[in-house]
Amino acid sequence: MKIDEFMTTRIASIDADLSAYDAIEKMVDRRIRSLLVKFKGTDSDHGVITARDIVFKVLAKGIDPTDIKVSSIAAKPIVCVNRDVTLAEASALMEKSHIARVFVCEGEKIVGVVSLLDIMTASLIMRARGEHVS
Amino acid sequence: MFLKKIFDYGKKEEQVIENIKKHLELLCNACDLFHSAMEENDKNLVGEVVDSERKGDSIRREIIANIYAGAFLPYLRPDLCRFAEIVDRVFDFLQETALNYLEVKLPEHIRDECVRVAFLNARMCEILLISFEAMLNGEDLREKALAIRIYEKRIDDMEFSIIRDLRQIPVDDFWQGRLLADFVSGITSISDAMEDAGDHLQIINVCMKS
Repeated sequence: MKIDEFMTTRIASIDADLSAYDAIEKMVDRRIRSLLVKFKGTDSDHGVITARDIVFKVLAKGIDPTDIKVSSIAAKPIVCVNRDVTLAEASALMEKSHIARVFVCEGEKIVGVVSLLDIMTASLIMRARGEHVS
Repeated sequence: MFLKKIFDYGKKEEQVIENIKKHLELLCNACDLFHSAMEENDKNLVGEVVDSERKGDSIRREIIANIYAGAFLPYLRPDLCRFAEIVDRVFDFLQETALNYLEVKLPEHIRDECVRVAFLNARMCEILLISFEAMLNGEDLREKALAIRIYEKRIDDMEFSIIRDLRQIPVDDFWQGRLLADFVSGITSISDAMEDAGDHLQIINVCMKS
């Protein structure tokens, strides 16, 4: 199974200049665990901020989330894969890079994101189809 | 075949099973056609979706006629009829959505999402067919039912975000807005009905084993 069948194509994003509080608000509102961070300048300059970043780098340290910018806690650069990469290849890359999601890119354009949960979901679909799950 | 082991598998039963399979294959083909129509923006393919719905209607009539003519034990008949009717309902949603597609003006980002929903509908239909075949072989349907629910949930999530975007789109008149809303509601209802069909398949499976 190719990764593009199970990627999420609606990618929520946030400007790097906004605060961690804005990021929390957006994540809670949309019930998602990460946001694509857009830096001013080129269209291809992206980072990612996750719930983990916010909890560990801000809340657990007692920092007021309104006082800290998304740009200072976002991870950069993002990890991109081609859309015809298999799920096994994507999960191997996630394990190697110790990340929970990879972005699916076509050239400089981000067309989707695949998370660990997406990989688990896809593995269930593959089982139902009788396809090999590695 | 599992069913053959349980029942005295006559010609009528065989015909019902063959027709249900044909009905599901036709549905999968129609879902693929609609996906291609959207992906390639080929509105000529919509005519083929409508033809498939008509063929589906006649297969459903044949299934029900054979069941009423005495195929299968009486306690199984209502569930088999109901299953054929649910599959027919999927055809109806698909046809309605395909016809709306001829008229609707879709903004580019909504269009991309709808193409994806059409693709997932087609993949979900394949699982429904796989489930039916698995049932005939007496296999457990647990994994298949879960796969169907996963696809449905995914489409549900997409519907939620499409509708959120739809609210931001200015429409020129009432009918344009209504067409857009009907199209999105239709394309996402296909998976709801397919999930019902999957659930009903499980009921039939339990009935057959009890």
